[in-house]
Amino acid sequence: MAAVRSATVRRDGRAALLYLLPAGILLGALLVYPIYQLVVISLYDYGQPQAAGAAPLVFLGLDNYVNLLADVQFWTVLGKTVGFAAACVIGSLVVGTALAVLASRVRAVPRTLLFLAALGAWATPAIAGSYVWLFLFDTDFGLVNEVLSGIGFTGMEHHSWTFGTFGTFGLVAAEVIWCSFPFVMVTMYAGISGVPKETLEAAALDGASVWRTTRSVILPAVRPLLTIATVQSIIWDFKVFTQIYVMTNGGGIAGRNLILNVYAYQQAFAGQEYGLGSAIGVVMTLLLLSITGLYVRSQRRSAAWL
Amino acid sequence: MAVKVRRPARLVAEIVTVVIAGIVAFPLYWMVLSAFKPAGEIQSAHPKPWTFAPSLDSFRRVLTVSGFGRFFLNSLAVAVVVVLLSLVLSFLSAVALTRFRFRGRGMLLVMILVAQMVPVEALTIPLFFLMRSVGGAVPAFGLNELGSLVLVHLAFSLPFAIWMLRGFVAAVPAELEEAATLDGASRMRFTWQILFPLVAPGLVAVSVLAFIHAWNDFLFAKTFIISKTENQTLPQAILVFFKPEDTDWGAVMASSTLMTIPVLVFFVLVQRRLVGGTAGAVKG
Amino acid sequence: MKLRSVLPAVATLALLAACAPTQSGPAASGGNQTDGTLRVWLFDEANRAPKEAAVKEAITEFEANHAGVKVDVQWVPVEGRADKFSGAFNDPSNAPDVAEFGNTDVSSYAQTGALSDLTKDITNWSDGKDLLPSVLDTAKANGKIYGIPWYTGIRALYYRTDVFAELGLKPPTTLAELTDDARKIREKKPDLYGIATGGKYTYAMLPFIWANGGDLAKQDNGKWTSTVDSAQAKAGVTAYANLIKDDICPPAACANLTGTQSVTAFAGGKAGMVIGGDFNRKAVEKGAVKGKYAIMPIPGTTPGSVAPAFAGGNLLGVFGASQRHGLAVQFAELLAGIKYQEKMYAAMGNLPTLASVQKKLAASDPTLKAFVDTLSAGTKFVPSTPAWSKIDSQNVLPTAVQQIATGGKDANAALADAAAAMNKNFG
Repeated sequence: MAAVRSATVRRDGRAALLYLLPAGILLGALLVYPIYQLVVISLYDYGQPQAAGAAPLVFLGLDNYVNLLADVQFWTVLGKTVGFAAACVIGSLVVGTALAVLASRVRAVPRTLLFLAALGAWATPAIAGSYVWLFLFDTDFGLVNEVLSGIGFTGMEHHSWTFGTFGTFGLVAAEVIWCSFPFVMVTMYAGISGVPKETLEAAALDGASVWRTTRSVILPAVRPLLTIATVQSIIWDFKVFTQIYVMTNGGGIAGRNLILNVYAYQQAFAGQEYGLGSAIGVVMTLLLLSITGLYVRSQRRSAAWL
Repeated sequence: MAVKVRRPARLVAEIVTVVIAGIVAFPLYWMVLSAFKPAGEIQSAHPKPWTFAPSLDSFRRVLTVSGFGRFFLNSLAVAVVVVLLSLVLSFLSAVALTRFRFRGRGMLLVMILVAQMVPVEALTIPLFFLMRSVGGAVPAFGLNELGSLVLVHLAFSLPFAIWMLRGFVAAVPAELEEAATLDGASRMRFTWQILFPLVAPGLVAVSVLAFIHAWNDFLFAKTFIISKTENQTLPQAILVFFKPEDTDWGAVMASSTLMTIPVLVFFVLVQRRLVGGTAGAVKG
Repeated sequence: MKLRSVLPAVATLALLAACAPTQSGPAASGGNQTDGTLRVWLFDEANRAPKEAAVKEAITEFEANHAGVKVDVQWVPVEGRADKFSGAFNDPSNAPDVAEFGNTDVSSYAQTGALSDLTKDITNWSDGKDLLPSVLDTAKANGKIYGIPWYTGIRALYYRTDVFAELGLKPPTTLAELTDDARKIREKKPDLYGIATGGKYTYAMLPFIWANGGDLAKQDNGKWTSTVDSAQAKAGVTAYANLIKDDICPPAACANLTGTQSVTAFAGGKAGMVIGGDFNRKAVEKGAVKGKYAIMPIPGTTPGSVAPAFAGGNLLGVFGASQRHGLAVQFAELLAGIKYQEKMYAAMGNLPTLASVQKKLAASDPTLKAFVDTLSAGTKFVPSTPAWSKIDSQNVLPTAVQQIATGGKDANAALADAAAAMNKNFG
């Protein structure tokens, strides 16, 4: 940030405005304005006839929210969303960090192999990844059931992985972690390799144990990165849509695998309740902002990267 | 790295690493393998992890379905335009946010950070109605058109792109700009001819993320492209083959493979820079 | 600097620009162009190929008679139709020109104002006088006709004659016998579903409710109230949900099955029975069970009775915003006319909606008997209110069936929830 404070930097608001204008207009029109509209729509009875202009708009105030909060299903879905996202975030962080540590301790060839595999998982489009995992875990033609029943778990023959509530969430979470841990791994690896050699040698000379070195030397150095990886994971995993929509066929049996995003979509576009769908969207935005906000605040060091 | 590891321990670690790499890559291997398996072997009750009779039948079925090539080009066009525009826009913003001083800068930074946390999926509803209005004025960016997809993906990839590039731009020493100015270079020239190439690793990372974002999109393509079949993108093409009870797994795997290849190629090409780029951004 | 003064100004502008959500303009008026692309939405079916072939033939004929016109058909999955049609209603300028839709959706689609009133067109259409009046009624909302009836959808029981013979079973005469037979089939032949049916197959469940004397809703003074929590309806739903059990059709595989998927499973030789429509006959005939099945009316609760079937049927509607209104009507009339009704009958087995065609074909085709018998025994319909489409697309009844079948909730709780959800939509 030293550059910013240097005297050579133009104190030129007009130029800044010019440079920021294109992105600003776009973000204003396609991000800020829609957020505002989301809130507005959530205050109306906005169904199919209203949207099509065939019925007058009725201002409801907070009725959509009252209905939503009184709905048992909403709370169930909310709980499942938090649980599912938390599992995905923790899974990605643990797997990603563990593999980053592993990668920092091996020679170039195995490390490159690991990175290539991870990049492949990262690169796989969500929809393609969802189908591949579904196929691997297919009831009749899946390799997983074949292998499991082959090694003695005969009960797994024709086992349906997308039936039970937890089994289904587990399968989807596995797919999500598979394609989101690489980001964590790459980030954490960069952090670990950035720890100066001298520091580590000094620690070794002082007779510090591996655990102690990790905790007192490496961890503080990578904490900002860990914050970023965590925040990004929270943002991504709370917003999962494609995987749930595709792998559970729109929310599972009797909607028991719904998460907020899919629930909002179903309410709005299939159930034709755009007002209610928007209210869910608002709740979700607030939730996400407060979770990430709290986390960022709790990380004192995070001030450094702002 | 410098952490001292004893040899046998390292060997064990390396074996574990290779095994894990294999596990991580396995779904991809299975996807490609299944795409090449002949019909009888795909829908088999006893799947084998190899095939001795590779066949292009599944690919043929996918490619002859009317419009698959068209869907592919649609997806590619949207992704490429989004990448190019987001590079230019995010670079300009990043320069302004790091090299200019003006009031409200800190607030803007916070806003950009917050913007990344907005669940864009929740915005499907207002965006749908916004695009409907846009279509009334500028048909090319309205619903049913690829332009609408370009706009939303551009908007969604910008905050992260700006955030990322900021670090790279800040890392370029201010002395360089002083020198360039002394040599008589205009600010415009400095920005585009000197600064732009210098932040290349960041640009690579930004373009990869923007590309993936646009390429992977399922929700907006599903919602926005209402009736114009010729404007659909790849995910819909895959859905055609997926029918519970009657899924053509060969075709699903073949189309998934075709959909994954461009991203994979992109990733492998820029692999080194991507790793460096991400790290650079987070360090900035 | 200026940002500070600019931002509030921009914000104020935005606020002024829209204080309320947007509504699409007063039902965009259409046009009458005679060239360009005519966009048509048709439903995907179990084994679509023959339907597609018949439609292709119609397209070739239509394009030959209308120079400069291209017909683009998009196949819409029946279960995914709600969000598809929502999109079309919300943005009339991007809606298709012609669309196939079910008669259960007529009132709600009419309410959006997006569909053309075809009353005049049908009066002026030579084949229009031949339409069966009872069928034409299902295309009406508020006295106006919103679609040309394309075919009638009546469901009956398909069963495997070879399996029944081998196990010494007799065709069921009551719903209870149907359940017993299904259980025996699964017991003796564990690789078969006793009957292929699923949580999302509402039209297979309705006869169970009706045969038990229940109904979906009742209307008093114009106000609808759900009756799915009545004792009779509960008995029917429970009897149906009992089919989705491990000893008949295991929930792990069947809880999410739709009608199309159930028929696909039966046609593929994976089930002893299925409830299927007249429009599924060719798909089954072309499947692995060819020559090994028979069709009979779905039995009622007492021997010899027939369960009231759901009087389904699909229509071809024209969107009001179509820029090619004349062409759209002509294409719909071509598809629903005598020539292509006969061809669709040959392709899919659809029960025609034109009196002359139905009479001619029923006389020469004994396999139609089960459907004609069902029709004459009396059919029933879903509540004819715009709310029904919403109840349908919110999966209210499938959710209840799935909850009961998987043990997530007992019948009382599941149906109380369903009734509450229905009443909320009735308003």
